[in-house]
Amino acid sequence: MIVAVVVGFVLGLLAPLVVRVARNGTGWITGLVPIGLFAYFASFLNRIQAGETLFFPYPWLSPLGIGLSFRLDGLSLLFALLITGIGTFVCLYSAGYLAGHPDLGKFYGALFAFMASMLGLVLSDNLVALFVFWELTSVTSYLLIGFDSEREAARRAALQALLVTGAGGLALLAAFVLMQQAAGSFEIAILVERSPDLRTSPLYAAIIFLVLTGAATKSAQFPFHFWLPNAMEAPTPVSTYLHAATMVKGGVYLLARLSPVLGGTDLWRDWLIPLGTVTMLTGAWLSLVQVDLKRILAHTTVGALGACVLLIGMGTQGSLQACMVFLLAHGLYKGSLFLVAGIVDHETGTRNAADLGRLGRAMPLTCIGALLAALSSAGVYPFLGFLGKELLYESTLVGFTPVLLAPCAVAAGIAFAGMGAVVGVRPFFSAQGRFSGQPHDPSPGMWVGPVLLGMVGLLFGLFHGPLHSALITPAVRSCILQAGDIPTPSWHGLDVKLALSALSLLMGGALYWKWSALRGRLCRWRNVGRYGPAAGYDHALCLLEAFARRQTRFFQSGRLNVYLIIVICTAVALLACALVRDNISFSDLVLQRWADVKTYEAVIAAILLTATVVTVRAQSMLVAVVALGVVGYCVAVVYLLFSAPDVAMTQFAIETLSVILLMVVLLRLPRLRTFSTSRQRLRDALVAVSAGLITTLLVLVVTTQARNPKLADFYARNSLVLAKGRNVVNVILVDFRGFDTLGEITVLAVAAIGVYSLVKLGSHRDRIPEGPPFGGEARGDDVSP
Amino acid sequence: MTVEVELALTVGGLYAAGLYMVLRRSIVKLVIGLALLGHAANLLIFTMGGLVRGQPPLMHPWDTRLWGRFADPVPEALILTAIVIGFGVQAFAIVLIKRIYLDMGTEDLRELQSTDITP
Amino acid sequence: MNNALPLVIAIPMITAVISLLGRHRPGMQKGVGLAGSLALLSTSIAILAGVLLEGILSVQIGNWPAPYGITLVADVLSSLLTLVAAVVVLLVSIASWTEIDPDRVAFGYHPLLHILTMGICGSFLTGDVFNLYVWFEVMLISSFVLLGFGGERAQLEGTTKYVTLNLLSSTLFLAGIGVLYGTFGTLNMADLALQLRGPTHAHLAETLATLFLLAFGIKAAVFPLFFWLPASYHTPPVPVSAVFAGLLTKVGIYALVRFFTLIFSGDAAVMHRIILVLAAFTMVVGILGALPQRDFRRIVSFNLISHIGTLLVGLGIFTPLALAGTVFYLMHDIVTKTCLFLFTSIVQRLGGCADIGKLGGLYRSHPFMALLFLLAALSVGGIPPLSGFWGKLILVQAGIAEKEYWLVAAVFGAGFLTLYSMSTLWSEVFWKDRPEAIGDPECECVGRTFLPLSLVTPIGILVFLIVVMGIWPSPFFHLAELAARQLSDPQMYIQKILQGKP
Repeated sequence: MIVAVVVGFVLGLLAPLVVRVARNGTGWITGLVPIGLFAYFASFLNRIQAGETLFFPYPWLSPLGIGLSFRLDGLSLLFALLITGIGTFVCLYSAGYLAGHPDLGKFYGALFAFMASMLGLVLSDNLVALFVFWELTSVTSYLLIGFDSEREAARRAALQALLVTGAGGLALLAAFVLMQQAAGSFEIAILVERSPDLRTSPLYAAIIFLVLTGAATKSAQFPFHFWLPNAMEAPTPVSTYLHAATMVKGGVYLLARLSPVLGGTDLWRDWLIPLGTVTMLTGAWLSLVQVDLKRILAHTTVGALGACVLLIGMGTQGSLQACMVFLLAHGLYKGSLFLVAGIVDHETGTRNAADLGRLGRAMPLTCIGALLAALSSAGVYPFLGFLGKELLYESTLVGFTPVLLAPCAVAAGIAFAGMGAVVGVRPFFSAQGRFSGQPHDPSPGMWVGPVLLGMVGLLFGLFHGPLHSALITPAVRSCILQAGDIPTPSWHGLDVKLALSALSLLMGGALYWKWSALRGRLCRWRNVGRYGPAAGYDHALCLLEAFARRQTRFFQSGRLNVYLIIVICTAVALLACALVRDNISFSDLVLQRWADVKTYEAVIAAILLTATVVTVRAQSMLVAVVALGVVGYCVAVVYLLFSAPDVAMTQFAIETLSVILLMVVLLRLPRLRTFSTSRQRLRDALVAVSAGLITTLLVLVVTTQARNPKLADFYARNSLVLAKGRNVVNVILVDFRGFDTLGEITVLAVAAIGVYSLVKLGSHRDRIPEGPPFGGEARGDDVSP
Repeated sequence: MTVEVELALTVGGLYAAGLYMVLRRSIVKLVIGLALLGHAANLLIFTMGGLVRGQPPLMHPWDTRLWGRFADPVPEALILTAIVIGFGVQAFAIVLIKRIYLDMGTEDLRELQSTDITP
Repeated sequence: MNNALPLVIAIPMITAVISLLGRHRPGMQKGVGLAGSLALLSTSIAILAGVLLEGILSVQIGNWPAPYGITLVADVLSSLLTLVAAVVVLLVSIASWTEIDPDRVAFGYHPLLHILTMGICGSFLTGDVFNLYVWFEVMLISSFVLLGFGGERAQLEGTTKYVTLNLLSSTLFLAGIGVLYGTFGTLNMADLALQLRGPTHAHLAETLATLFLLAFGIKAAVFPLFFWLPASYHTPPVPVSAVFAGLLTKVGIYALVRFFTLIFSGDAAVMHRIILVLAAFTMVVGILGALPQRDFRRIVSFNLISHIGTLLVGLGIFTPLALAGTVFYLMHDIVTKTCLFLFTSIVQRLGGCADIGKLGGLYRSHPFMALLFLLAALSVGGIPPLSGFWGKLILVQAGIAEKEYWLVAAVFGAGFLTLYSMSTLWSEVFWKDRPEAIGDPECECVGRTFLPLSLVTPIGILVFLIVVMGIWPSPFFHLAELAARQLSDPQMYIQKILQGKP
């Protein structure tokens, strides 16, 4: 089983090679992969029909309960067959549709990767594995929508699809982890058993909401439906495969799969039924105002997906049966119609339904496929579409609030019938046609798809008994915990649902005949879209960009002093809070060792602070450097006074070096410039002083504490005995902590390299000629805080 | 007033002065500020390590260990290392700003943000 | 096996010295660098193996017993990070063969790279707070020099900010050491951990923790202390920023993890909460920063910041699972960020500049490189089954288990925006056509078509690692879990170092 899933990824990598080798035979050779997989999955039909559920567990990240566990039951099988079946035709078709395209290899690569991910999605029994494949379908869809990557529209549509489904994916991941949290497992099989735990969990509502968000984004439910029509930027085979037949059904699949886990509650129904209904109506309505063949189909797809969600939401045996039949019928006829639309586009160069006509004679085979599909879409007896629609109506009639739902379903049915005909019939039989070129039937690889899919729709409609027992019934059984007998739908004579069917067919016919006239009137309503979710997406993106820009300009302003102020203020604030949390009270600062400050100590401190102030206020470089040197020497004197002669010596030496260095390097700077305003200086001074205060406080607190003297004692005892040195500081430096000294020397060496490189390396480039440095007018007057 | 308080105030003053200088727009003042901060940090460790007058951790030739009260040698060793490291870093910083001035002809940090702007 | 620990510091040092001696012979530098990196790699593999077999390894430098001398310690986390660092250094030094100009090589680029490595490895292995400071400084000064190396205008600007903010961090670090020694009278991490767990002296724990949080937070580029990073990381030659991005900030993260698991883990609930808040802000502010940028490396830099936040999430949640998530994500992040930064080289070679508005068409012209980039970018975006996904999943799982829902929301929000940012890069640099009219004389955008093998191979290896970590995560998770287990039970560490006697 894992081979069946992974083979697509491997072949995806090899696809460019295959395309290069196979040339004209590409379609037929690549088609072998899905047809082979189709045969493989079909071989399970018997066992699944017998009610078996097959598990194929492979370990992955076992400690976290994540495994690549595959499960084959009725629902998976139905989808797997749909994916591989339609995939075969799409492979055949693409070779003709994109013949000679330079990126054909990459196209097949992505297509195979998508097929593999989709198979993985419908076969996974582990939620994390399912999520992995779910995201992979989003990514491959992104790549395929953006296939014509030079066009900005394609890139934008791809990004939109990625963002919408990506956001949904994250919601889904959150839902899955919450489910694991509530029920203790990622395995769907186990979750089914523990579904009472889930339903009573306080997280239940959140889980439902998040799962629904994920499913709704993938299956283009309102208000996320807008990405799907835009995704029609993709090449037509991709639209057929991903955005009509398989990927967009992923959300529906997920809801069906999880309905035994999460479904059957009021909450579930209360969310799903309105969601599905609104989507169904939105899709149906929006399809009316389109003229582009593919966009018409995309909107009816949205409507159909809404119907599926509605049916799953009802959650009865009948409604799930209706969902499966409808889904299969839709996959077949919508796939076919898309392929036809692609052929028409390919041959005539236009997809504008209003401009097309009289193609029936020129392309008879395509026309047959189109007719078959359109009839199924319209729900004409005996096509499978008829059955699907009957079951849909029946479910709405017996289910919840039929007064509301049945008219909605009929309205959608009318749109599906009428618009299906606009795509499948009108281009071939309408009297006027405005296009260029000499259209004719394409190569067999391209027409075989629509024709065969249409025929299958007819055959399934005629012989739906075997279809039911082999595919539909097992699929329904996997969505319902205690399934009773699932009756094969049969002829019930004249009843309400038949009347509704007839009504929708009639009205659909009327819609078809009057479409040209109606369209003009309906198009006025297109402006409503300006306030729709698509506009919301654009606004959100704009706002996001604007906000990101503003906040980044605020934080990453390019001004070092702003950075420093933020850092210092953060430090002061956090340290102040920490000191408070540490319960530092001023009583802690009771001074323990009262020792009078000697006069010379006070004098040194005073000199030190004075020199510091002079350094800060110095206007000339010379004064500043000298004052800095005084500060350094005073520090050294402090070391000397308090028993650190070695440190003091080093400090004297280093300070002297520093001053010399500063003098030599910066000597040519006669005076220090002031760039800031007095307000800025005040602000900086406040910041600096508060930081200084915190430090003072810290020193005071620490010095009141008694410290464990064990280190000092150890060194005092052992310095001579073990390390043969009388100067303990020296011994520590070269022996006890000699490792530090190694690092210290390294730092000096590197600094030397750095200084050398700064002086020499690259300095010949665009060096400013050395004029009077830092002189001239003060340029810093135009300061702004 | 004790010595600790005196030095605590000194350290605080050095920190404040160093930070104030670092906040200037002149790169020269920036380097001076960094030098002050270096002093401040070293003195901070020194003060926190405990202050002892006139008892350096040196052994008399006739002793085999330190006796009685003596200054803690550990902070001294640390400061020694820190001073040297600080010098290395500072030397680099000084030459860096010289190079900046030579290459760009400015000492104003505000003019050094051509790569750090958000479009 | 214990005796191998100092080798990890000695090998880069020796490599640097030899390489410095032969700095006018580029061929020799390559050879020495390669040999040194390979030696480091094999040593670190041996150390990791030793840690896995024998438990925590430690060695006392100069044989001075534990709190008195300097300790080197390798637990799973440090040895793992040393190993990853060795891999990164090896690959970057190979990439440097062609990506660093002869001038820079002659002035000692390779020795500096190895000194940097020495500092990084020293920081990972040391068990002594002041020694950690020393290695930080070694790392810092060599990064200063590498950053300003060559003295281009942008480099000098970036270096100024980098130097200043990092010196501020050093000052804070020193202050922290002062307080630490002033309070506890010891510098050994294990000893400190023991004392902080003891009844006395819980006195200044919060203040100390805050000081180190600030010092390491600056190094790790945590919000709101990250400004030096986007100001500088896009300025030096590509291999330099690749190794910086891969390792430097991660050393800060490592130090945070070490300190807040080993030393400040007693009753530091408030600190962990603060870390969580900072993590959330870092994630979101960082990735928002990436959106308006146009420079390839600046985009990746802001992504880097955002993921520093993600790394902190595990530390803030502070359960074994969360720490495992952080360790896993750490491995992923080092590999991926190095890879993305190295990609700048490819992009600059092919497109002539790094401005994504002026680039384009690489998907058509170099599909294989496009595939590699796509994998790396998707991994950053957290798309499964690539390395970035697992780390994030573990963190999310840990966050939800602790009911930190707002934090999980922040992780997801940042993840979403990361995906957006990465897809922008992909779309602009690879999908879009090259814009024809280019009037910018500075950016002539004359792409070359030649890609040296020494650049493509390291990238290929890194992407391979990303994919392997994604498809076969269990061994990596196992390591992360072991590391997390040691981190959440510091008793082992303390006992190993102090061997029973305090």
